[in-house]
Amino acid sequence: MRICLFLAALLVGACSAEPGPALVATEVVVTRPMPGMGMSAAYLSLTNNSDRIVSISRVTSAQFESVELHESTVEDGVARMRAVPKLEIPAGATVTLQRGGKHLMLMRPTGPADTLALHFYDDEDLILTVDATFQSELKNSSTN
Amino acid sequence: MGPKNFIVAIILAIALATGIFVATRLQAPAALKTAFVLPAPMPLPEFALVDQDGDAVTAASFRDHWHLVFFGFTHCPDICPTTLQILATARNELAAAGEEPLPRIVLVSVDPERDTPTLIGKYVDYFGEHNLGITGNLDELRKLTSGLGIYFEKQPGDGADYSVDHSAAVLLINPNGEFHALFSGPHSIEDYVHDIPLIMADQ
Repeated sequence: MRICLFLAALLVGACSAEPGPALVATEVVVTRPMPGMGMSAAYLSLTNNSDRIVSISRVTSAQFESVELHESTVEDGVARMRAVPKLEIPAGATVTLQRGGKHLMLMRPTGPADTLALHFYDDEDLILTVDATFQSELKNSSTN
Repeated sequence: MGPKNFIVAIILAIALATGIFVATRLQAPAALKTAFVLPAPMPLPEFALVDQDGDAVTAASFRDHWHLVFFGFTHCPDICPTTLQILATARNELAAAGEEPLPRIVLVSVDPERDTPTLIGKYVDYFGEHNLGITGNLDELRKLTSGLGIYFEKQPGDGADYSVDHSAAVLLINPNGEFHALFSGPHSIEDYVHDIPLIMADQ
């Protein structure tokens, strides 16, 4: 009986020692759409804690009709923005979506909101949901 | 003058020249960080566009004030708001430091198809109440951009969802309505706060 209890305890222990989430989001910044503007941007760092490549092929949010992964570049003095079909994060690596680089373009808000949820998919598999609060980084603070 | 006095005179002359040289160097204006000042300011080309109130904007509209001009569009969620935020913050820092005059920040739309005067007005107002938004006829816009060496090109897209490639530079226009200096980027608040007063003081 004692042996059975011991084995059961080991089994429970093994089950409770689950690995952490494969994909972790940090430094999340989502800019609030400017008045009258139908779009905004989201920036964040994504860390892949798994031992496999994580691919993000689609991002959705109920607060926007469309979310696309874009990349801004400035080459030879010309600013460009292009859609990125897929974001791949190598095992153990962190990919940062930041101003002037890769970012999420959020288009056509579905209504006024202070918070939003971003759902990251690999094809049809939901691999991460990020809850965030809109930030009005761009202050109207002209002094003259 | 004997040989000894001649040598003393030579030494004094060298010391005087060295002193003048050092003093000149010490009084030389600080070097600009990123701005490029045109050797000869260039008058703006003739064009006819409108501001956020629908009022006419021509080359003459740029007289009597310094202007910092950026070419972008309101459906640009990343580079355009970031650049305008840098310009607005730099202007606020210059104002807080008591610098005068302060440049007016201008966004010229390279996407007049979507950027109505009302829309560009809301956009520029977000970054400060004294900002100027300019839009209008595409042919008139090209008169301005081609005359200043500014590039823009609409990219293929899905209906109303398209992007516009555009020059990332910011132009400083002097109160004579002339293209005076260029900030080619990357842009930083610190560089604008440092360079703008130096350029204006040297005008």
